[in-house]
Amino acid sequence: MLFTWFMLTGLILLFAPQELTGKFQLAFVHIFRWPLSMGGSVALTARTQQLAGGASQPGERQYRNYIANLQQTLDEQRRKFEKLYGLDNTFVWEGADFALADVITATTDGSRNELTIACRKTDGLTKGQYVLGDESVIGIVSEVFPQIAKADVKLVTDSTSWIPVEVAGLKNILKGNGDYTARIEWLKNAVKVGEDVFALKKAGLLDAPIIVGTVSRCERNTQNASLWDVTVEPACDIQKLEDVAVIIIRPPK
Amino acid sequence: MRWFRFAALLLVFAILQKGVLARWDHKPDLLLIILVFSAIYLNTSEAIISSFTIGFAADLVGSPIPMGPHMISFGIFGTLLAYLHRVIAIRRMPYQALAIFVIGLLSGVLTHVLAFLIKSEPLSRNIYAAVLVTSLYSGFVGPFLFPPAAWWMGVKIDRFRRR
Repeated sequence: MLFTWFMLTGLILLFAPQELTGKFQLAFVHIFRWPLSMGGSVALTARTQQLAGGASQPGERQYRNYIANLQQTLDEQRRKFEKLYGLDNTFVWEGADFALADVITATTDGSRNELTIACRKTDGLTKGQYVLGDESVIGIVSEVFPQIAKADVKLVTDSTSWIPVEVAGLKNILKGNGDYTARIEWLKNAVKVGEDVFALKKAGLLDAPIIVGTVSRCERNTQNASLWDVTVEPACDIQKLEDVAVIIIRPPK
Repeated sequence: MRWFRFAALLLVFAILQKGVLARWDHKPDLLLIILVFSAIYLNTSEAIISSFTIGFAADLVGSPIPMGPHMISFGIFGTLLAYLHRVIAIRRMPYQALAIFVIGLLSGVLTHVLAFLIKSEPLSRNIYAAVLVTSLYSGFVGPFLFPPAAWWMGVKIDRFRRR
């Protein structure tokens, strides 16, 4: 009898809408945010000591991402000027707001990569907005809970994530592998290892391309040898992130 | 059964799982370990209640997997193990490690299958490898956590008894 009642409870939870049950999960993070973030810091310290040997400096990586993004912004601005000079033109990133947020927890279970963030302001925060970490796109806002100023971020490496990107002039979709890497399939041409991958601009969400990662491997597709599959490593160490910024593009007045 | 102590232990394990361990690629599942512990060392009705409660806690910290699958899979396999323990005693460390490994595999697979079937959660290519690795780690670590957990819960683990 006991078993039946508990099974029923489990089934009710399972069939209840995710928007509702997701609030339980976020409430847990909200209530225990202090021990959770403290635990995260312990893990970060351990990882930093472990990686100290050969890993590149986070500051160096951040500057590299910043320069790559600046170049893309400049190119985008030039294109806009050439194309629409006579019309009501706007500057790239005009009206963009960057909502800073602290990372409370980073979750990985082999296929799902997610961050829970505590936003300092939630005004204008909605699902689908791009999230930056170390000047690079790390994911997209998947859930927003303005009442408790928390949001979930689906990382670009999550197995259910896909975002339009460009690598070496070729447009394609970046899909997460679930193991802190992502992939681009069915590319027409081979690309060099180390080539930058940029998230494509998207009206109302991203004004100019922003770096997502770099190509770490390029090999022929197993089904069609004339096409190429590319493995992409994120442009920042997502597991070590402590704060992020959500891009909020406000409509021009 | 000291339920307050059990709740405190469960809370600590849930926070550790979601906080310290969440950023590691390969990690033991502390809630799976406490599930097997309760199935082995508590009486059957207590084991059923604690299995579903641990499953609920696993759901709470299991985001982005939606709520429900952990509670059902932990509840089913925790209850099965508790009944199995009435017939076969699992008191030596290798057998405990094996029990954690097997329950980890079965509950992990059932959790992802339920999430896939009911909630249309995608099954990624490496999900079964991830379940296998987590079960292995849990199997290695679990038996060493049993004595401190038993001390905290006031359970005598040396005494041989079947319920």
